[in-house]
Amino acid sequence: MTRYLLRRLGHGLLIIFGVSLLLFILQQAAPGDFLSDMKLNGQISEDTAKVLRAQYGVDQPLPRRYGRWMLSVAKGELGYSFAYNVSASSLLAPRVLNTLLLSVPALAITWIIAVPLGVVASAWRGRWLDRFFSAGTSLALAMPDLLLALLAILIALRTHRYPVGGMHSVGAQDWGWFARMKDLGWHMVLPVAVVVIGSVSPILRQVRSSMIAVLDSSYMRAAEGHGLRKWTLLFRHALPAAANPLISLFGLSVAMLLSVTLLVEVVMSWPGIGPLLLESILSRDLFVVIGAVMLSTLLLVIGNLIADVLLYAVDPRIRVQA
Amino acid sequence: MSSLNVVSPNPEQLLRVSGLSVEYRSASGGIIHAVRDLDLAIGEQESVGVLGASGSGKSSLAAALLRLLPANAEWVAGDIQIRGKSLSTLPRAELRRMRGAGIALISQEPALALNPVLPVGRQIHDVLQAHFTLDQTQCNEKSVAMLRAVGFDDPERILRAYPHQLSGGERQRAAIAQALVCQPAFLIADEPLSSLDAVTQSEVLRLLQRFRRELKMAMLFITHNAGVLSALADRVVVMRAGEIVASGKLDELGRNADPYVRSLIHPEEALTASNGASTHGASTRGDVKNFPSARAYAATVSATSMNSANFAEQTVRMPQQEGSTPLLEVVGLTKEFTQRGFLSRKKFTVRALDAVDLSLRQGSAVAVIGRSGSGKSTLARVIAGFERADEGQVLLQGVPKEKSQPIVREVQMIFQDAGTALNARFSAAESIYEPLVVAGQGTELERRQRAVQLMEEVGLDPDWYGRPAGEFSGGQKQRLALARALAADPKLLILDEAFSGLDLPLQAQMLRLLLDLQSRHGLTYLLITHDLNFISLFASEVIVMDEGRIVERTTPLRMRESSQSVTQQLVRSAERMHAPGLEAMA
Repeated sequence: MTRYLLRRLGHGLLIIFGVSLLLFILQQAAPGDFLSDMKLNGQISEDTAKVLRAQYGVDQPLPRRYGRWMLSVAKGELGYSFAYNVSASSLLAPRVLNTLLLSVPALAITWIIAVPLGVVASAWRGRWLDRFFSAGTSLALAMPDLLLALLAILIALRTHRYPVGGMHSVGAQDWGWFARMKDLGWHMVLPVAVVVIGSVSPILRQVRSSMIAVLDSSYMRAAEGHGLRKWTLLFRHALPAAANPLISLFGLSVAMLLSVTLLVEVVMSWPGIGPLLLESILSRDLFVVIGAVMLSTLLLVIGNLIADVLLYAVDPRIRVQA
Repeated sequence: MSSLNVVSPNPEQLLRVSGLSVEYRSASGGIIHAVRDLDLAIGEQESVGVLGASGSGKSSLAAALLRLLPANAEWVAGDIQIRGKSLSTLPRAELRRMRGAGIALISQEPALALNPVLPVGRQIHDVLQAHFTLDQTQCNEKSVAMLRAVGFDDPERILRAYPHQLSGGERQRAAIAQALVCQPAFLIADEPLSSLDAVTQSEVLRLLQRFRRELKMAMLFITHNAGVLSALADRVVVMRAGEIVASGKLDELGRNADPYVRSLIHPEEALTASNGASTHGASTRGDVKNFPSARAYAATVSATSMNSANFAEQTVRMPQQEGSTPLLEVVGLTKEFTQRGFLSRKKFTVRALDAVDLSLRQGSAVAVIGRSGSGKSTLARVIAGFERADEGQVLLQGVPKEKSQPIVREVQMIFQDAGTALNARFSAAESIYEPLVVAGQGTELERRQRAVQLMEEVGLDPDWYGRPAGEFSGGQKQRLALARALAADPKLLILDEAFSGLDLPLQAQMLRLLLDLQSRHGLTYLLITHDLNFISLFASEVIVMDEGRIVERTTPLRMRESSQSVTQQLVRSAERMHAPGLEAMA
């Protein structure tokens, strides 16, 4: 178990390292940097620009810049922000928490909805219930996440029941902690709902098809022949057997969900990584972009690590090693 | 027929099937009549054997009796009454209570009848809790008692074990425990023995006989091996194409002149027959009987089988005439497998092969027999290059067998279930010549010609070369797999339980084909098998394996006089099962 975990962890670290290297090479290939725009500004002379470039270290060769960035990662700074003149990590840290606040509940709710519905759809395959789900998921899949987010804002505007974007009400910092929590929860409803709707369909479909493969198997027929109750058959016998591909999907769903979350954050002005990432890409604030992408990679790796451990726990066959 | 339905139910009658018809809709839109207008009655405590070749509708009958037909099958007509209750009108809840508690099912593949991700104990508990209100301790007591009854000395270990941690025989016994734990009045056993080794088969058979007595169960025993039924069935019905073509006591049926019935009850006749009269199932055009050499071979066999000892001695002597270097030499092969538990450091090491030596001469046919788990499949996989040995060497014509391509191609393997080894979407021709594509041999046209030629050689109609492999029947798929293995022009063919999934008449046909190919191409066979079917007619040398070691090298004739307990056990079990072709040993 420990060896298995360590090996998986090693893979994860290797991926993170690889992604960081790739990011540096890719950004090198893209034209311009944060200071390029200064050339358009007549008030800044060639010399000043040169001095600034030297000061920021952008004129140095790639391996050297990568080395320096690694050094700052080791110090926990993740490089520095050109635009804000602070370390990238101090910008990213609070926003990562906000993003997690949105994506973790959304992830949980997505799976809590998708699994039972997928199981039910598979058990009544081809009947009206299954068709209803199939139509519903098709619709949700076809709908762009952007449109969903805008629809949510429209609902908030029309009904006046939900806050329109943001994370806190104005003046909330003066309230008691309970009122603040309630306010936060109220702000979370719509964004979480949009993320869930945007990511539930593929998972539900995967649960359904994975279950159908198991329900057609001979051991399920044998179990049915032993007179087991339908719900025992479905949830106690079929679901664990169908869990394998779903657990792998769990790791991937973290990435999928994160991408929806970032978009929703931008549209619904949730102060997470999303808006910051967009802003830093537009202003070529290199290290903030790299930091944000690296954090997403980290979340993805953690998601997959959790999936690996779950897989090891759920499927006794994985434990067989030659 | 309709008048039968109004007659009040006979109290002595447990099961009454009248006019049952079941149809399957195939993917291409056609309708297959799996069961046609079938009548069958079984009394309380009566045991009825259903005998039939594959595709005769036996399993569909079993599924219909539990209303467990797959989604693409339809119960079109007829009625099934169990103790006077009509199954078709039984409410869902009552049907569920009847399954498992009233009628139990033991299905074909023990490996596939248990859920792979749940411990055996939980699967037995769930059956109990579906029918009785029991608490955890009562459940445990009952399951332990049941597991003990099916012959486990350590029921606690079995309760905790996952199916993959059990051997094939243990799995089948666990599946029987699961089926019988609620003490049903009627047991349907659908080919419960076909994938077990000979020793386990006879153990399971005895177990079923005992339970039948103790639980006073009625039984419907479905099989393609008539030998089994002599010990188990009061009455036998023979099915073909969804209909009952004959019925009666087994020895009465043995005197039946119908070639189909004969081929089921005396399958070894197909191997020794001097003409194609008894090869009922080979409706394929261009069958073996069209080959002059096959006929010539059959003639030799029928001549020598008068004195079968003579015949076997001949085949034993034959290999020694060849050159001095053996085709295949295996020296000191050792292979271990390690398994570990979740959150525990405990390791189980299984020594699958323990310093195995083996030598095969060109043109010989050697059988490796042993119980499942004796390491024979690992041996085959190492020779074929699928597994790497921890120690030891495989020499092919005196040269160490490394990963070099041309040498590897000289060894081909045919697996137990040919259907899963073939890509169902490939056409027959593509399936056959794919190894040539991989090896980069020949032009497109040459490959096609070779495929057609091979199809003729293995007795498949060459007109079918464009048909998807998935549309061939089980026996035909096995022939396709054989043609595919021959495409690369191998010297050694490893047959890893290659015929275990086939019914006996088909096994006989395949073996006859192999013998014919051997005489024409000088092929060498390594037959890995757990039963002794036809062994004396096919192999010149027998190697008996147990726990990763070769315990004995002998000939089929001398097996009976063996002093090794493993060999004796295998022979005794085969005799109990009336393995066809074993008679020649006497």
